[in-house]
Amino acid sequence: MHDGITFEQMGKRAVVLCTEPFEVTARNIARMLGQPDYPFVILQHPLGSLTSDEIKARAAVACEQAIDILTG
Amino acid sequence: MTISQAQQIHEIADDPLAAMDYCYAQGWTDGLPVIPPEEGRVQAMLAMEGRPPETVLAHHPATGLELTVHAAAANAVMAGCLPEYFPIIVAAFEAMDREPFNFHGSTVSTGGSGHLLIVSGPIVDEINMNAGVNLFGPGNRANATIGRCIRLTLMNVFKIVPGIADKSTQGNPGKYSFCIAERADKNPWPALCEELGYPEGVSSVTVFAGAGFCNVENHGANTPETILDTMADAMANYGCISTGQSVVVFSPEHVEIIARYGWSKAQVREYLFEHAKRPRKDLEQLGKFENGYNAQDRQDCHRGVSPDDILITVGGGDAGGHSAFIPSWSRGRGSMMQSQSIGVCIDC
Amino acid sequence: MKLVDPTVPANIQTSKRAPALASLEGKTIGLLWNHKVNGDKLLNETAALLQSQFGGKVLPIVTKRNAGAPAPTELLTNLAPECDYIITASGD
Repeated sequence: MHDGITFEQMGKRAVVLCTEPFEVTARNIARMLGQPDYPFVILQHPLGSLTSDEIKARAAVACEQAIDILTG
Repeated sequence: MTISQAQQIHEIADDPLAAMDYCYAQGWTDGLPVIPPEEGRVQAMLAMEGRPPETVLAHHPATGLELTVHAAAANAVMAGCLPEYFPIIVAAFEAMDREPFNFHGSTVSTGGSGHLLIVSGPIVDEINMNAGVNLFGPGNRANATIGRCIRLTLMNVFKIVPGIADKSTQGNPGKYSFCIAERADKNPWPALCEELGYPEGVSSVTVFAGAGFCNVENHGANTPETILDTMADAMANYGCISTGQSVVVFSPEHVEIIARYGWSKAQVREYLFEHAKRPRKDLEQLGKFENGYNAQDRQDCHRGVSPDDILITVGGGDAGGHSAFIPSWSRGRGSMMQSQSIGVCIDC
Repeated sequence: MKLVDPTVPANIQTSKRAPALASLEGKTIGLLWNHKVNGDKLLNETAALLQSQFGGKVLPIVTKRNAGAPAPTELLTNLAPECDYIITASGD
């Protein structure tokens, strides 16, 4: 989250990918950085143990949310 | 000494028990009752630090929150510390503030590190720390409250609160308090503070983001190799083998055997590094292999990157073939233990 | 009884949101990975889907060594001129 918001200070958008258990933590960081409503991608947890097909499925969800985040 | 204007004052009824309840209501505790941070007691704590109360000791890179001497003093009172413990707390946070320690990651990760403090040098006896029986356990005010102050400060100042910023999956008992003293009288090697290069008479605190505690028991071992093989096996257990650092605390009973055969600390480190290992294919099969092992240029995967990654100290009661291994929270180089002199500035 | 507050005031920083992209057509995508397991694969797959839908280019992944610390400033400043937006992973 910190990296995404810091990157945006350079004038370009960032899509931050995070999983559901970390949503509260991510929103907390965003709030501390002055962006309480910063939108980011929230995916089903976990990621570390996924198969290739499962990663592809997560990516499809991420792609859909990313389009709104980048253009909204 | 005046109270810094930055710290808010809460005026409440002069009732100690009600004040303890007030601290709970404010969310200032670790779940256990705290000593209310009464103004006079905080001033007494501040008197042990020569710098102004607004001096920043540590900062959190992700949130920008800063720990001042004043806030540290308030948390030290709450933990139950005596003023003479405060220089250790100050030194510990200054050590944690260094970038290689990774203040953010080591405090919020799912890995759940407890910050182990190892105190070495004359201050151990000066403030009556425990380096003997029940080394990691309760019963000693200095050990218990110095360790506790670290956690209270992380929660109150840096808002590293379970569920919000602290995402530790299962936590770690060391998150309540994890502070020990090195036992000088049973140590066959130079003291840790001397090994770290501090001048004679200067004490040190080493801070290590530790992932847990493993009791390494062997009552039948009677050679250095049999003790160290037992320790190396613990260090290489599948649940915590990584290229991270290690802390090994030998009990007097174990270290006496090692010393009887004339082994130096360097020899012990070398032996442990060489023997704390797993075959690469086993780690790959388990999903535990990480690219950091490639840097070792070895057939097997060894714990740590080199023998220098193993801190060795001595502590515990005279009786019992029980030593301890504390693995790093970091599975690589994500947090490196840091040491600081206590009460004196060596590098300024 | 006077109690000294053991907390410090929240340090709410100021920051701005970058402007929205009018279109994703033909854009160059930067990828920032924090070294968490499968974060790289997720980034590559997500970027591939965006590229298949909107064309453009995907840059090689940039990795920060330490998942638990903010990325070094120069890593971000080097990446910014090279792409139109980034995807960063993973907070898990």
